Amino acid sequence: MASTACFIIVGRNDIPIYEAEVGSAAKREDAAQLHQFILHAALDVVQDLAWTTSAMFLKSVDRFNDLVVSVYVTAGHTRLMLLHDSRNEDGIKSFFQEVHELYIKILLNPLYLPGSRITSTHFDTKVRALARKYL
Amino acid sequence: MGREVAESCVDTMLMEMVAMFSGRFYANKPELAARRIEAIGYQVGHQLSERYTMERPRFSDHLEAIKFICKDFWSEVFKKQIDNLKTNHRGTFVLQDNKFRWLSRVSIDPSSEKETEDPSTPGESKAAQAVSMYLYFPCGIIRGVLSNLGIPCAVSADISSLPTCSFVIRVKA
Repeated sequence: MASTACFIIVGRNDIPIYEAEVGSAAKREDAAQLHQFILHAALDVVQDLAWTTSAMFLKSVDRFNDLVVSVYVTAGHTRLMLLHDSRNEDGIKSFFQEVHELYIKILLNPLYLPGSRITSTHFDTKVRALARKYL
Repeated sequence: MGREVAESCVDTMLMEMVAMFSGRFYANKPELAARRIEAIGYQVGHQLSERYTMERPRFSDHLEAIKFICKDFWSEVFKKQIDNLKTNHRGTFVLQDNKFRWLSRVSIDPSSEKETEDPSTPGESKAAQAVSMYLYFPCGIIRGVLSNLGIPCAVSADISSLPTCSFVIRVKA
């Protein structure tokens, strides 16, 4: 289980539509802001890397101290980004795939405007449960 | 992820949607009805594209995305593939379906039209206009799929010979 992990979903217009701290360590205020800053800074790297491959899971694209950023890009160019300190790649890939399924279910909701924030508490609970399971 | 529904339900829903929009909501404004139907198709295409691209790797260029529509997407939605794809390599694609599923039950009686009406008058175009209302929804679906894959475009349909149906995609560069 990772002790620190921050997960965000960034839509195609580079606006984050979902953020969650899913690590099991105690949350510190400054650490949370730092995590989000690292993830947003990694967006440029993701942009370049996304066009070089046709795979969805881009593995780790950036590092900061001992934290690693892993990214999963969907066909609609929605980026699922995870900041973590674990080395469990298979677990992270499965986590991304399950969150992708949940995200598709949110998209299938006709009342959801694509690109807007995901406010469903159900989605939030499920993502945290998946994080506990896979990370 | 999906459950199954009888195809007759889908057919009935499509007929009812067109009848509702062109008959009740926008009774004398076929352009507005067409735009509403196309917008519904856009959202459906948006959602379907996310669902059907989940397992496969992403697309490297426009042609790959169009080929995805012709093969995988068309077989998921219409249970067959596109029969003919033409392109001018400058942003225009023509997708030809030789037996478009949603138009397979539409009948146009050509003999009565030729005898009673002059082909160039509104008589023939009224029948063509009635059929074209049914095509705004699939055009919207295609536009929604391509927009979600990052390719803004305009889609129109051509029904010069039923049941063959051609969809013309113009990519907005």
